[in-house]
Amino acid sequence: MSLRVLNPNAEVLNKSAALHMNINAAKGLQDVLRTNLGPKGTIKMLVGGAGDIKLTKDGNTLLKEMQIQNPTAIMIARTAVAQDETSGDGTTSTVLFIGELMKQSERYIDEGMHPRVLVDGFEIAKRATLEFLEKFKTPAVMGDVPDKEILKMVARTTLRTKLYEALADQLTDIVVNAVLCIRKPDEPIDLFMVEIMHMRHKFDVDTRLVEGLVLDHGSRHPDMKRRAENCYILTCNVSLEYEKSEINAGFFYSNAEQREKMVAAERRQVDERVKKIIELKNKVCSGNDNNFVIINQKGIDPPSLDLLARAGIIALRRAKRRNMERLVLACGGEAVNSVDDLTKDCLGWAGLVYEHILGEEKYTFVENVKNPLSCTILIKGPNDHTIAQIKDAVRDGLRSVKNTIEDEAVVLGAGAFEVAARQHLVNNVKKTVQGRAQLGVEAFADALLVVPKTLAENSGLDTQDVIIALTGEHDRGNIVGLNHHTGEPIDPNMEGIFDNYSVKRQIINSGPVIASQLLLVDEVIRAGRNMRKPS
Amino acid sequence: MRELVTIQVGTFANYVGSHFWNFQDELLGLTEVPDGDPIYKNSPLDMDVLYRAGETQQGIPTYCPRLISINFQGSLGSLGLSGSLYEDISLSDPTDILTWTGNVSRCMAEPHKKNLFLQSLSAEEHEILDVSEDDSGEVMSSSQRQVQDKGRIECLETDVKFWTDFSKVQYHPRSLYELHSSWMDIQKFDDYGIGKDVLSGSLQLEEMNERLRFFIEECDHIQGIQFVVDDSGGFSSVAAEVLENIEDEYTNTPVLLYAVRDPGAYTYATNQKSSIGRSLHDAVSFSRLSSFCNLMIPVGLPSLRSGLSPLLHVDDKKLFHSSAVYAASIHSISIPFRMEIPGPAANSTCTSGAMDVGEIVHTLAGQSRQNLVTVLDVAMPPPSLTDEHNQGSILRNLHPLTPEIRKDDDDLLAVESLVVHGALYSGDHRATVSQVKDSVRVAYQTAPAKPMFSRLSVALCPLPIPLPFPSIFGRNVGRHGELVFNSVQGARSRGSLEIESIPMAARLRSSTAIMPFVEKRLGDLRKHGIARGAPGAELLRTWGFGRDEVQDMGEHLSKLLMGFDPHSQTTSDSD
Repeated sequence: MSLRVLNPNAEVLNKSAALHMNINAAKGLQDVLRTNLGPKGTIKMLVGGAGDIKLTKDGNTLLKEMQIQNPTAIMIARTAVAQDETSGDGTTSTVLFIGELMKQSERYIDEGMHPRVLVDGFEIAKRATLEFLEKFKTPAVMGDVPDKEILKMVARTTLRTKLYEALADQLTDIVVNAVLCIRKPDEPIDLFMVEIMHMRHKFDVDTRLVEGLVLDHGSRHPDMKRRAENCYILTCNVSLEYEKSEINAGFFYSNAEQREKMVAAERRQVDERVKKIIELKNKVCSGNDNNFVIINQKGIDPPSLDLLARAGIIALRRAKRRNMERLVLACGGEAVNSVDDLTKDCLGWAGLVYEHILGEEKYTFVENVKNPLSCTILIKGPNDHTIAQIKDAVRDGLRSVKNTIEDEAVVLGAGAFEVAARQHLVNNVKKTVQGRAQLGVEAFADALLVVPKTLAENSGLDTQDVIIALTGEHDRGNIVGLNHHTGEPIDPNMEGIFDNYSVKRQIINSGPVIASQLLLVDEVIRAGRNMRKPS
Repeated sequence: MRELVTIQVGTFANYVGSHFWNFQDELLGLTEVPDGDPIYKNSPLDMDVLYRAGETQQGIPTYCPRLISINFQGSLGSLGLSGSLYEDISLSDPTDILTWTGNVSRCMAEPHKKNLFLQSLSAEEHEILDVSEDDSGEVMSSSQRQVQDKGRIECLETDVKFWTDFSKVQYHPRSLYELHSSWMDIQKFDDYGIGKDVLSGSLQLEEMNERLRFFIEECDHIQGIQFVVDDSGGFSSVAAEVLENIEDEYTNTPVLLYAVRDPGAYTYATNQKSSIGRSLHDAVSFSRLSSFCNLMIPVGLPSLRSGLSPLLHVDDKKLFHSSAVYAASIHSISIPFRMEIPGPAANSTCTSGAMDVGEIVHTLAGQSRQNLVTVLDVAMPPPSLTDEHNQGSILRNLHPLTPEIRKDDDDLLAVESLVVHGALYSGDHRATVSQVKDSVRVAYQTAPAKPMFSRLSVALCPLPIPLPFPSIFGRNVGRHGELVFNSVQGARSRGSLEIESIPMAARLRSSTAIMPFVEKRLGDLRKHGIARGAPGAELLRTWGFGRDEVQDMGEHLSKLLMGFDPHSQTTSDSD
């Protein structure tokens, strides 16, 4: 072992010890996350050293908050977080599944089975399960007008695992409408076009969808209107402030007069830009009582604001870069980078623009727009951690709707898929496998049951009763999931419980890969500063 | 108004920042003392340059630093992430969970205990509320107070774990940003690549940029951004990403960049591999950072104990100590940015030489050489103008805080900007603005090597020493920063109890003195990164730099050097 020669202090764990270290780490992580799962799970409140509160029921958020030291656990956590990044959900399920695969394997390995054989079985079972998923999924045709009901059911299933029922149901409509709002036919959905804005104000149930845009700043001039109807919107990225050009250009002046002249010339340029905008305003607003609003990505200094205010224009400066795109999608028109050649066609339109002030925070609402292709979910809550938790849930909800539209399929939830897949593996697939790899298939099949088992456990039900009831009902030819109130089998189709197809697919795909890597470890060498702490 | 936005990135940068804001807070406090020193009361320094006025949701006015501080998760100690200023006590208990009706499990981290100093701060806050109602109540005797202060100072000397431990400033809830670094060993956050990893694929950069936008949107005439970065580790690349965004979004806003590092950053490099890693990190981070700013000031000596003035007793092991020196210097450099710009005729008796960030950049980096890397020198405290103790002039007492520079530099094309504030004439008598001006003029005339161009800013207001300032002054420093050579009594080192304020002189110098600093980085980059079969090429690749990018960095560095010597252009390309 070259490494041992290089570093005699390195600590080497032999094969069996290494394997058990991996298994224990996977089980440990599973234990932390298992109470999260499902609509009866436990929410976690994390209180930091200075009293900062974080609230989460999301496996992904929780994993990121944890200070994980164990390398095996980090490996699992990375996989689970990657799962969230690609498909938006399923972190908890991934961790549970990997943990359960390791747990099932432990039984066989302790009986003297070689991990290699198990891994072969996993591979067969994985392929069979993915094939089975293709047959099992419920296709959902997403033509020009998507089936709103199915989208709602998927979103509701996700949201109810993060928020209490009434709030989840309220947000269901919001996220579905938000995604449908920004969806363009034949283009991938860009969820960034849904702005998520929050206000620390009132109650969580005031959260709503604004068809239009909410900006987190207001005009900076006392004479500008706080509310205007029938507004032309000019979205631009043009500097309307006097900047000292000498900073970047190596320009010299030899006396004060020259300098004054240069300053005046600079100022004139800015004023001219402002005048061009005012000209356009006068052109489009003369003879009617329409209003004119500028939303600028660059700065606008007080002299320019003055000129604009006197012309009756509302001006906002330093808008978010992304809002340039959103504004055009919401209001129409185009984002201009120069005030030359301004025409009416550059302008967007909003029926109502108004400002809302909360202490030092200002919000500008741009509403009543025609055919919005961008919108804002406005989250309200009494404190930051409540807002943050709702925000996380909204993000997950949006992802689930997007996934459904892109997958054009959903999978029955409440553990129905896992039970069906397990029975399929045990009753059909196992027979076709030669030799000991059968046991690998069996371990995989039993590991799938971790989802219904944990759901039952979190609902305070007896897991064994539940599994017997579910598999029994399944063998009678019915597709059933778990009713988390009663523990009775239910038809998830009737209850409207659906999961994302792509999320499930990825869990089945990535879980066994990581489990196999952890099982096939030969030895673990630990070196470096943090070796074993003297106890 | 000419607003300045401050950004602090990294551990040591926040230590420096904490002292910096303590000075500002002290200045603000001194203007409010009813019968205080008129020098503070009538100070023409405009604090609105650094501070913003705001209002809580309940309509209570606030006055907070216009600041973004970026650091690790968990580096705030006992200070809450959003501060206490905007907390709404009237609302329901924050531990009520409104979004979930099911089970709840609470995980509490062990609370960070507030040290004696912070405890007394929060006690004072309550006290102010009580005292205002009843003035006749028992007033603590001065001796009692002194005993108490002594305890507070001692607790800071022995036990500062976080930069918040000695901070007396209240921050805006958007000021403090924690970088989430999932499952990473903070000890290993020591090279350019790892900082990049932490930011990649997350929305954290966008969040930081959003916070900056919040502060800049309120500014009517932003004069610049004052950026302090701890460039000894992964925070360089975090800073570079933030700076890159600044360049895109706020193109004409000048950035003044202080790259600070603590003495401890020079200690490790146990084997050859890590020493190559270190020098490549230094080269890469210097090249990247300098390409995104208008003026760069690298500071951070390997030792402040031996390298700096004999008047200071700095314990190099304590970040609390070393950061105080840098903070004082940054404070002095920022004085001219806050002076009121006089009308053409006015001649202020309190200040002279106002300028904004743009002007200082133009003065130092805009001249023929276009050199944007400058040396920071400081005299803390400088001797009195009459030079009673034969210490020499202010100029002779300036000591560089920038490492790896040429010591005996007699560059005839140097450009300097000197700030002197609170200077003493003799004993503890303050000098007037014109006295300082005259004295500096004379000093320059008699100096052996004169710079090509020099700019002087003078203010009357000295550097006030706040209570949580470390005891780093020698026993030769008097109550107002005057030099006392006959005293034998007193403690080994003196701090805020013995010293009220000190005069300061600080100088930015754009000269050939910086050349070894740049040359070393260029040399390291060529040797370890660019040359054929260079040992660090693989490392740079893991940091995400392709060969072309590394070569670009090398070119950028040699361009910096070329400014000093236009003739070298033809020869500098050979490896």
